Amino acid sequence: MNKKIPNFVFTNQFGLLCLVVTFILIFSTVTDGFTSRFNIFALSRVVAIDIMIGLAMMVVILTGGLNLALGAIGVCAAMFGGWCMETMGIPVIPSIFLILGMGSFLGWVNGMITVKTGVHSFIVTLATMSIYFGLMTMLTEAEAFRRLPETFTEFGSMKLFKKYISPLLLLSLATCGALFYLFKYTDIGRKLIAAGANPDAAELSGISVNTMFIYCHVLSGFLAAMAAIMLTTRIGAAIPSMAGQLGMDWLLPAFLAPVIGGTLLSGGKLSVFGTMLGAVLVTLITNGLYLIDVGEFWIRFFLGIILLIAVLLDKTREFFTLKSVIVS
Amino acid sequence: MKITQSSLLKKDWFGLLIVVLLSGTFIAMLKPAFLSAFNLYVLMVSVSYMLIIALSQMIIIAIGQMNLSVGAIGGLVAISFSGVMEVYQISVPVAICIGLVIGTVCGFLNGYITVKSGISAFIITLATLYIFKGINLGITEAEPFYEIPETVKNFGNAKIGTSPIPYLIIIPVIITFLMWVFMNRTETGRHMLAYGNSVQSAELIGISSSKVVVTAHVISGFLAAIAGMLVVCRLQLGTPNIGDSWLLPSFAAPVIGGAILAGGKVDVIATALGVLIVAIISQALVIFKIDPFFVQIFLGVMILLAVFVNRYREYKQESSKKIFNND
Repeated sequence: MNKKIPNFVFTNQFGLLCLVVTFILIFSTVTDGFTSRFNIFALSRVVAIDIMIGLAMMVVILTGGLNLALGAIGVCAAMFGGWCMETMGIPVIPSIFLILGMGSFLGWVNGMITVKTGVHSFIVTLATMSIYFGLMTMLTEAEAFRRLPETFTEFGSMKLFKKYISPLLLLSLATCGALFYLFKYTDIGRKLIAAGANPDAAELSGISVNTMFIYCHVLSGFLAAMAAIMLTTRIGAAIPSMAGQLGMDWLLPAFLAPVIGGTLLSGGKLSVFGTMLGAVLVTLITNGLYLIDVGEFWIRFFLGIILLIAVLLDKTREFFTLKSVIVS
Repeated sequence: MKITQSSLLKKDWFGLLIVVLLSGTFIAMLKPAFLSAFNLYVLMVSVSYMLIIALSQMIIIAIGQMNLSVGAIGGLVAISFSGVMEVYQISVPVAICIGLVIGTVCGFLNGYITVKSGISAFIITLATLYIFKGINLGITEAEPFYEIPETVKNFGNAKIGTSPIPYLIIIPVIITFLMWVFMNRTETGRHMLAYGNSVQSAELIGISSSKVVVTAHVISGFLAAIAGMLVVCRLQLGTPNIGDSWLLPSFAAPVIGGAILAGGKVDVIATALGVLIVAIISQALVIFKIDPFFVQIFLGVMILLAVFVNRYREYKQESSKKIFNND
């Protein structure tokens, strides 16, 4: 039993937690306004969306694949939602279900093509990214939906806990909890991991690997749509450029969070809380760098360096601990 | 193994050549303007740098990896190349050398970190993508360099004699030829394909994996640098967003050319034809006045189609192998 404690100390999550605490301490002493109510609220909204984007990528990385179309799915879902609510006048709640359905559907298309062709999902999602985004721009004529129902947009500016925390963060944390439960305690979740870890062995033990991979892509699309809903309520409009050209602006947070969080790119190993902490760490550092005033143009440079250091550290840690914990 | 009469059909580039000829003829019949001197010039200009970008990605695909930072290297070189000429008044040949050195160093870093860390090149080049792009934005603060020497501008605009052939395409054609020689006739090139096919068997027969990976990344960086500088010649200015949109086309051409992403199988000529197909059809979409956003959809569909066709051919080849097993 006393092995329990060192085990936790050696995990990636513990290291991340230490880093998060260190950075909070550094930034709150070095900068003014890091702990201000305004900054914490702003942070909580950004973190919430980055966590969701990270999770959406994580579930596809689990299969040993990638989902480059993540941002494109998100934007498509958001624009579809904008069309439902503004043009069609569908009430908010059914619209949300439609948005999530749209995201899942686009994820399903990715999954189907990947499984049926047997081609690496990198190239499939690279192609669908371009197709989804192109179709969306053509259909919307690159026009934004700015007159969304107030009940929908108010959610994004709502403040809880003495106006410190956005409800979006709670939503993300709840999703983390749900995914943790899924991958740790449910039959299907374990099958998803088994399929990712060793497809051949999984197939032989009676798991339909193809179905599992499609589920992962559907889940990824669903989570991307969640992130898109949260981003739409935050900015109060559905804008075609909200995730940058082809939705590529989401890719950095999408990869940073799971990779820093200890999800293996070869598949079969994930960490829900690691991904969450990874997203928190990245958002903290970005926010801190802005407050320190390194200049907005250098932010990307530092994020790249951080990703590099994170993967190198992770490699060293792996080397020293040589442990394999599937979900911790 | 006997060489059959259908061996030509099995070549990756043969089918593509037919696609190029057919689509060219078809478009020219519908719109004779397609074959006008101006249009051919525009077509060749866009082929020129896309060729280099595709080869830069292709050599990394050959060893079974990916280089997401091709565009970022190209962008960094483009702004350094135009920046040193504008700010420090450095002569053109020296500026070209500086650009090539930067590209080579960037490629070396990619390769070296990938080999030493054992982490997938995808993640390493994703990180370096942001590092190179960050340096680019940090230096330029998103402002382009406009003061490009006249020699560079002229090179970007000039045509050979009265023909519609732009100067810009000379270097890419030479490089394509050199790459073909490199991949097919040199030991290092063959080693790369062997490494891409199977890392373990390559190491067992004594191929140094670190040498292969670093060399491939260095060449990739070098080619990205050339592409970056060609785009500066073409645009007549060095903007920080050069390279931002290279990712999709860089993969499209090799994949259309039948490259297998798992590595070990690339074809320089087929990749070049892949570039040509993408360019011809993009041009056709412009001539037929089709929504520019459609070009994006089209590129995606082309990649998927190529993937399906390759898959089908593999399946055909496998089944034919089974039939003639007793030969």
